[in-house]
Amino acid sequence: MSSATVRYKVIHETRYAYEHPVSSGRHLAHLSPRDTAWQKVTNHQIALIPEATERSWATDYFGNRTLRFTHETMHRDLLVRAESEVTISSQLPGWDPETPWDRDAMPPGTRLNDDPALAEFRLASPHVPLIAEATDYARRSFSPGRPLLAALHELTLRIREDFVYDPLATTISTSVAEVEAKRRGVCQDFAHFMLSGLRGLGLPARYMSGYIINERAPGAPALQGADTSHAWVATRCPVSGWIGCDPTNGKFADTEFITLSWGRDFSDVTPLRGVLLGAGTHVPKVAVRITRT
Amino acid sequence: MLQNLFAHYPYERDRYDELRGRDGKPRAHWERVCEELGGLSASALQARLEGVARDIRDSGITYNVYADPQGLDRPWQLDCLPLVLPAAEWAEIEAGVAQRARLLNLILEDLYGEQRLLQEGLLPPAMILGHSGYLRPARSMQVPGGIHLHHYAADLARSPDGRWWVLSDRTQAPSGAGYALENRLMVGRAFPDLFDSLGVRRLAGYFLALRDALLHYAPEGDGPAQIVVLTPGPFNETYFEHAFLSRYLGFPLVEGGDLVVRQERVWMKTLQGLKRVHAIVRRQDDAYCDPLELRADSALGVPGLLECARQGTVLMANALGSGVVESGCLLGFLPRLCEHLLGEKLKLPSVATWWCGEPAARDDALEKMDRLIFKPADPARSFEPVFGQDLTGAARLEFKARLSATPHEYLAQETVRISQAPSFTQGTRLGGRGIGLRSFAIASPRGYVVMPGALTRVATQSDPRIISSQRGGGTKDTWILAAAQSQPSPTLLSERRPRGGAVITSRVVENLFWFGRYAERCDDTARLLRTGINALVQDAGEITQALAALAAREGLEGLPARGTRPWCHAATLDSDPAGLAVQLGHLARVGFGLRDRMSLDNWRVINRLMQETALGRQLSVAESLEWLDRVIIALMTVAGFAIDGMTRDLGWRFLSIGRRLERLAFVTSAIDVALDECSPENLGWLLELCDSGVTYRARYMTRTDWGSVLELVVFDEANPRAVDFLLGGLVDYLVHLEREVGYRGVQALRELRARLAVLHSEHPDPDHRLFRTVLREVHQGALELNDELSGQYFSHLGGFDLPTLAP
Repeated sequence: MSSATVRYKVIHETRYAYEHPVSSGRHLAHLSPRDTAWQKVTNHQIALIPEATERSWATDYFGNRTLRFTHETMHRDLLVRAESEVTISSQLPGWDPETPWDRDAMPPGTRLNDDPALAEFRLASPHVPLIAEATDYARRSFSPGRPLLAALHELTLRIREDFVYDPLATTISTSVAEVEAKRRGVCQDFAHFMLSGLRGLGLPARYMSGYIINERAPGAPALQGADTSHAWVATRCPVSGWIGCDPTNGKFADTEFITLSWGRDFSDVTPLRGVLLGAGTHVPKVAVRITRT
Repeated sequence: MLQNLFAHYPYERDRYDELRGRDGKPRAHWERVCEELGGLSASALQARLEGVARDIRDSGITYNVYADPQGLDRPWQLDCLPLVLPAAEWAEIEAGVAQRARLLNLILEDLYGEQRLLQEGLLPPAMILGHSGYLRPARSMQVPGGIHLHHYAADLARSPDGRWWVLSDRTQAPSGAGYALENRLMVGRAFPDLFDSLGVRRLAGYFLALRDALLHYAPEGDGPAQIVVLTPGPFNETYFEHAFLSRYLGFPLVEGGDLVVRQERVWMKTLQGLKRVHAIVRRQDDAYCDPLELRADSALGVPGLLECARQGTVLMANALGSGVVESGCLLGFLPRLCEHLLGEKLKLPSVATWWCGEPAARDDALEKMDRLIFKPADPARSFEPVFGQDLTGAARLEFKARLSATPHEYLAQETVRISQAPSFTQGTRLGGRGIGLRSFAIASPRGYVVMPGALTRVATQSDPRIISSQRGGGTKDTWILAAAQSQPSPTLLSERRPRGGAVITSRVVENLFWFGRYAERCDDTARLLRTGINALVQDAGEITQALAALAAREGLEGLPARGTRPWCHAATLDSDPAGLAVQLGHLARVGFGLRDRMSLDNWRVINRLMQETALGRQLSVAESLEWLDRVIIALMTVAGFAIDGMTRDLGWRFLSIGRRLERLAFVTSAIDVALDECSPENLGWLLELCDSGVTYRARYMTRTDWGSVLELVVFDEANPRAVDFLLGGLVDYLVHLEREVGYRGVQALRELRARLAVLHSEHPDPDHRLFRTVLREVHQGALELNDELSGQYFSHLGGFDLPTLAP
């Protein structure tokens, strides 16, 4: 499927041209890749034009790297340029194909002996209410005792088949229920829908934020979500650990997925969020370029 | 008399009676109160009750009820008869409340730190992590002194066996302590002798201790400690209390827009620049405190505040995220946590409460639902409490289905038959009402200090089981009797003193400016209407034509030269936005937002005016004139306070500028209209409008002539309504501003004044062209001054924070 170890360079640019000058701006960026068992960050920096008045690095609640920066001088444009180099090794071979999905699945409850690190990802979150439609949809692939890997694979494929990739159909505030009803949306919507289904079954599931590499064999369909930031899902298997799967493209997340951050949903790991004084209407222009090195 | 007193007082065997024991006699600690009441004649008692009601109305103690369209600024519901508690009984409550505060603080420390309680199975992780009040960004925060819970409140109720139970804990931004103090001031005044002779414990020490503790724990740097009270604003239900506490403690009252974060520290915007803030007593919910990391749609927050709290550069009272332990779900776990964390037994038990998310608890709750009250498990998904016993037929089935579908959204709590206390129900008749206590505690370096008093909350008349100010319940003062050996009042610990001198935020300065303008505009409008109606009554057609023209310039369209009705309408009805009623409304609103800055007496004057029944009613000519007289007198009183009762600081200066600027614009308008129609009749009303008739007659004793009138209303530098006087004053104030806050633009007004002085020597008549031009320029100058001040000082407040997201 993929070679064992791959190196990438990513440039993620966000450009703002504000309608009115901004006198004060404050941002929180989740634009830095994190070190994981399968991913090593060899180089990373974030350039700002104009340079910020103040900036500071930190690690958030989920262990993601964050950059906070503020601008206190009047400006009309802002460029945020994150440059990263990462090495990724395949984790697929380590995933156990036998473990049944319902081995440790449990509904959220008052159970005292629950692992807080997992309980977190079984619960509803701001963008992921647990709706019956999503759970019922997921359950059709999760028959009792079925191996988790097989069930996940089928679920991601079904979502790709049943849902239409349509950037005009939804916005950041579109609810999971609406996405379910319309059967349209983008990677973030499909990830939220899948999370709702998996958590409804009692499985811990994370929202993954990062990039997907658009390398395709001649004639193969283009991958959706390339050239911009991407989102997928990781589910916890008691034997294999976290298993990444991408409902947008109907596949497991392997070496063509670069991980920035994870959290409960989009709101925990929004790549760039800010508060501006002034500004007026503004739409960011985002461009992501990934090269294999 | 004692017999009469109890004639209607109910006796219920199955509830605890605060007043009487099982033998039907007053309990020992009530005897003195009964004697006092028994010794009063019905009319004397009535007089006292009315006195308190008047006090409340006049002081404008309010509680805003969201659900009620008329609910804004609803008078505070206070029953004059205090609840009396003996020293020994109070000692138990005191120890229990302090222990609980200590325990909850430790739980918060763990939940936002190591989370051992979750890892070791003492609390269900899902319950905490699934609670909307658990703020993930607040984990690993450096809270000054290790204190999350600076102030705490517990809601208590007494069961039929006489024991006190905790119904709920308030840990985020507990309200009520200020109302408790206000109740004390009112009731103490109604029964001064009784209060003294009983040896009731005082409340002042508690508030001093709060101030002292905040000073003790506040981080250092950038000058003396500055503490502020952060309010969501005048529309909040307990805004009155925010302003009251701010004034009582001497901490400026600020809104989110008054604060800004720089270099990971919090600063307050003042006209003299940014001033460091070291501690924030917040009356704002967690989620609204920082739009960058918490609710992005919050316009009330301070972007970056959470990071400052995390770094420990600002003390938040209470710490962000402390709302999570308000969850009723926690109650059942407290006894075990108390033994685990404090090695003590929990002194005050909680009313039995279960989270229905647990299947066994859910089934149990459905089975015995008649004995339970159902509440939201998460305050974010709020609904009105449901009493199981009230549900019958279809409603019962429907509720069961709802609970079964989303059990985790429900808490089930046993209902308590709450105790009854005496209360004046109809006039002076003594009835019984269900009561609960809200008790308060603050963190001090010597442990938690409990207020030796409480807010007694009284059940609603319609449903004696519900205690809720939002639903129309009342309150009482709570009298804790001192022990035989009374404790010494606590001495102050902190050497630190708050920043001396009042610091005024830019917003307050702007509000004071508008207060000045509105006060003057109301005065001008009232005088104009009074002059107009008087002229109409005398059937002086020509005069009213000119006055109608002036009224139109002032925005009062369509006042006819004949017929008094529309003129009277403009005095009391709010149909015309330029009418007096609407202008008074603006004045009251701005004044309400300045509650922390204004003396009580000053506020009373405005408040009484706003409560006049004349407002909103169609009045006769005579009534209208009387009403206008009252308005003018009240406004002169307000003006008097500004002269006699305010420190000459920057805020006062802006208020005075607002007032003069408004008056200058009005006077120049009036003169211009009068000169258009330079008949002698116009001189009369001009003098009346300018309140200069008396001076004129005293000085000139002659028939009115143009020269002398203009001398008096334009050139006189001693007449407070003359153009020159007003201009001169404005120039003086602006020179101060130039020095203090770098005002630019004094020169324009100086030049106008100089040109007026030159014209003075020419004794201009009404047809003097240049004179008319200069007068119009002065009018224009007044309006431009408004824009100038707004541009230089207020415009930066107008901007709002806009959230932005990028993928």
